[in-house]
Amino acid sequence: MISPLELLEFPFGRMALAEVLLLAVGGGLAGAWIVVRRLAFFAHGTAGSAFPGLVAADAAGIAPLAGGLAAAAAYATGAGAADARDRERSDGPTALLLVAALALGAVLASDVARSGQGVESLLFGGLLGTSGAELGLAATAAVVALAGTLTLGPLWMASAFDPRGMRALGLPKGVADAALYATIALAVVAALPALGALLAGFVLMPAATLALVARRPGVLLFGSVALAAVEGVAGLLAAFWLDLPPGPVMASLGALAFMAAGLVAAPGRQK
Amino acid sequence: MIAVRARGLAAGYGGAPAIRAVNFAAGPGQGVAVLGPNGGGKTTLFRALMGELEPITGEIEIPAAAGRSRAGYLAQLDRTRLDLPVTATDVALMGALGRGRWWLPPRRDDREAARVALARVGLEQRESSLFGELSGGERQRTLLARALVQDASLLLLDEPYAGVDPASAETLDGLFAELRAEGRTLLVATHDVESARAFDAVLCLNGEQVAFGAPDRVLTREVIEKTYGSELMVLESGDGPVRAVAVQHHEH
Repeated sequence: MISPLELLEFPFGRMALAEVLLLAVGGGLAGAWIVVRRLAFFAHGTAGSAFPGLVAADAAGIAPLAGGLAAAAAYATGAGAADARDRERSDGPTALLLVAALALGAVLASDVARSGQGVESLLFGGLLGTSGAELGLAATAAVVALAGTLTLGPLWMASAFDPRGMRALGLPKGVADAALYATIALAVVAALPALGALLAGFVLMPAATLALVARRPGVLLFGSVALAAVEGVAGLLAAFWLDLPPGPVMASLGALAFMAAGLVAAPGRQK
Repeated sequence: MIAVRARGLAAGYGGAPAIRAVNFAAGPGQGVAVLGPNGGGKTTLFRALMGELEPITGEIEIPAAAGRSRAGYLAQLDRTRLDLPVTATDVALMGALGRGRWWLPPRRDDREAARVALARVGLEQRESSLFGELSGGERQRTLLARALVQDASLLLLDEPYAGVDPASAETLDGLFAELRAEGRTLLVATHDVESARAFDAVLCLNGEQVAFGAPDRVLTREVIEKTYGSELMVLESGDGPVRAVAVQHHEH
């Protein structure tokens, strides 16, 4: 039987490894903020909304990622604005937009576009076919997430802790929230080539796991990066070894780690 | 000298005004109790004073005090998150973010201000405790420490006694007296009609301003009944001052 490490002997394997490590930075940090700000649904919606953009762009002969990015940006802008206006009532429109986006993507893929890339890879990712442009997007998302965390992190945490108190504290809540939504949307879109529209929500899994045990913001934020890297690399190597698609294997590993952390998390922690 | 003044103020959330015809003023060092029933407009008034709600009509005046921010706010406890990995010190430090350099790590004097504020509210031994693991009274005092770090001349305290144990309530009373002695103006939303007698003035709200003035002039049977309506549980009147107990609840 082949060794999982043999993957790294191939250029496509090394590209995939680099993609995983870059996504661990951007996705790990964004995931932590998704958990802190309770924006899991927003993140899933952003990934799902990219699907019709990916298909349409592919059919039009332009880079699918550009179409996905445009669709996700439009969705993130609308959903972010609705969320900022009325957090308690934004879930319904978010869900409807997500369903509509997936349905539109399916229609485009089956009846209009006849996608050359394959619906399966758009939905579930294709990490082993990572391109240079995709690496560039993942690196950009990592830099943006890191810069946002270091400069806007205190505002994002204060807003999560007491959203109505931001104005009284003299803090620019609107600007901070818009930057956070953009950072999350970029991280999710950067994960699309590797994980696909349905699995890009994996970016929040390491942070959700760490949130069960972390007692300091730094542990949650940078621990999420480390855990995302471990889960990503382990998932990639295991998928190669078992001849399975990497995205679902990574997501399954993340789910297992989450369940394990849930079992050992200190009881009585207030939620 | 005026620390805060509202003239003909009406404010709300897009429909009919939640409060209207609000006229009051308070000077430096004064304490004003804001009384009213559930939905009477106490929190709406505070949100308007913070600038979170634009007045529909009327105006608000909060002159800047030298070296101090204008308004500090003590939120209701149920509006804060208990599941975040933030300590009492982290929360107190949030009060320093508004000084205009939030993109940089806290300075040494910010950390010192947070430490002093926590000591002032009696939480020097709990600085490193997670906010979610503090008692209700300790959380309330932590939020007060955050407001102290803001170093505001006007403090808006939204039901500071809600969910607070007697020891913490005593600490808060002492601290409020100190803050007034420092020249800070306190607006305290409360349901406790009796405690309102200890303030310099009382503002009664029930959708509109019912009364404003000195406690012995405002806290009459007629005003209290008009303010609380059916939420008034007990009303006793003998030869002495009116005694009343209003229903305890949280305003949303």
